[in-house]
Parts: sequence; structure tokens; C-alpha cells
Amino acid sequence: MFVLNGYEYFLGFLLICSLVPVLAFVTARLVRPHPEGVERRITYESGMEPIGGAWIQFNIRYYMFALVFVIFDVETVFLYPWAVAFNQLGLLAFVEALIFIAILVVGLVYAWRKGALEWS
Amino acid sequence: MNLADGVQIVSFGVLALMMLGAALGVVLLENIVYSAFLLGGVFISIAGLYILLNAGFVAAAQVLIYVGAVNVLILFGIMLVNKRQNFVPLRNAWVGKITTAAVCLGLFALLGTMVLATPWAISTAPVAGDTSTVVIGMHFFSDFLLPFELASVLLLMALIGAIVLARREFLPDALEREETQQPVLTLPERPRELASAAPGSPDRTLGTSPTQRNV
Repeated sequence: MFVLNGYEYFLGFLLICSLVPVLAFVTARLVRPHPEGVERRITYESGMEPIGGAWIQFNIRYYMFALVFVIFDVETVFLYPWAVAFNQLGLLAFVEALIFIAILVVGLVYAWRKGALEWS
Repeated sequence: MNLADGVQIVSFGVLALMMLGAALGVVLLENIVYSAFLLGGVFISIAGLYILLNAGFVAAAQVLIYVGAVNVLILFGIMLVNKRQNFVPLRNAWVGKITTAAVCLGLFALLGTMVLATPWAISTAPVAGDTSTVVIGMHFFSDFLLPFELASVLLLMALIGAIVLARREFLPDALEREETQQPVLTLPERPRELASAAPGSPDRTLGTSPTQRNV
């Protein structure tokens, strides 16, 4: 049994969305001039001249932010059913969710104190 | 066959093709960055299949966690290691290949027997659909309360462990000295002469760039 309730708009949206880049590239190909030369091969970097290659080692701090993000992403997934079923659940569930958040706030405070959220 | 059935079959076909193509790309492509991006395509296709199975919450969790977090983590991991070097062919590589083939064939046989043994009768029970998220929430706060609270402790442990590992507090001194000696090219404070000396950089073409000529 298949319902697809409420996903009709999503499907239509997806189809229209996938048309946007195709149309943009086709229009650009029709309209743009066709210059030859080495400048065409340069990586576009917001109008700046690119320095060095793009395949460089990135800073490990990006990884720290990604790790912290993953933790709170998973927390969001756990809290979403609670938010949806909030009216059916009682005060006890509210307290339990608060305990859940409090344990993770300890982690946030630890990350903050250790400077994991700062760039320098 | 009405319109909804047709849409379902077409969507399933498109999603299955997307998933198989992306999965083959992950395995077969030489460039690891392309593999990582195609892995995101596999995850998105799986989320689409979940939607086709009326599991909206699982699909949202799939996109949020696997595409949004795990795949980004994999990409960052790739960006952190940039040793572009020619790999030395491994001696006795056939042992590893035979082991891999045996493990993969065993997995395939296991899954094949499971597919054949499963009764694929269509359940007549009403589909939970949109209310499934509420049902999951009810379970979280009744019979699955302890795993729910333990999950937060697990997340806390993961967070603290990640920070301790990334801050390198417990690194031996010798290792640390060795690492500080070699200049590492990083994005924010990248020394210009080091960067321009890197092979394959398009510096030769810079002098003729249109912006400079116009000035």
C-alpha cells in the first residue's frame, strides 16, 4: 500500500528544482561569448587571483566544528519526536527531555571551556 | 494501475538507478573526493527509498545525520590528509584481494539466502504514515526511556573524546616536535612563497589575467 500523502508538492518541487541548473547552463551556453586563452582555465575565486593549488591540507579546526556539529545533529533527531508528540506526552516527559538536554549541555560547556568553539 | 502507483514505480526506478550508479562510482573512481561526494548521493537515494516506504521520520534522520553530518565528516577527514603521492604496489597484494573477495561473496550469499527466505507478503495493517513520529516519541518516553537517556551520555562521551583527541593533549613530546618542523599548508595562514612553489599551481598564467591587464 502506498499513500504518498503530502509528497505530491515535494515531487513537483523536486522536478522544477532539477530544471533550474539545466536551464541556467543552457542559457549561459547560448548567451556567453566564447573567448580562448589561459584565463578560462583559472579557478574562479571571487575575482581574486588564486594562490597555489586547491588541493591543500585544510585546518584541523574545521574537523573540530564538524565533530561538535555531529553531536548536536544527533541530539536534534532525538528531540524531534518529543517535540511532535509534546501534546500527548505529559510533564514527566518534559522533565526527562530536560535531563537529556542537561547532560548534553555539560558537553557544550566542556567544549566551550576547552576552546573548541573558538577559531584561534 | 492508477497515477499514484505509476509515480511510485517510476520514483523507485529512478532512486534505484541513482543509488546503484553512485555506489559503483564510490567504489570505482580513483579520486577519493569524488567518491565521498557520490557517497552523499547514495545516502540521499536511500532517504528517497525511505519516503517511498512511508517512513518520513527515518528519511529526515537519514538526510540530517548521514548527508548532513557523517558525509561532511568524511569530507573533512579527506581534506585533512593531502598526501598526494604515488603509492608503492603492495607485496603479497593477492592475499588481501582473495580475502576481500571471500568476505564479499560470503556477505552476498548471506543476503541472498535472507532475500529468498523472507516471505514477501504485503502486510494489510494500516500504515502509520504521518503519525509514526508521534508513535516514536511515545516509545521514547515510555518503554525506551533508558536507551534514550543513555544516548545522551553516549553523545557526551563522544563529544569529550573528540575534543581530547583533536586538541592533542596527550601527544608524546617527540612526535609533537617532529610535526611542528614540517611546514603544513593550511588555508588561513598559508605562506605565499610555499604555496606558489607547489607543483601544478597555475601561477604562470597569473601575469596575463584579465584583471591585471586592465589595471
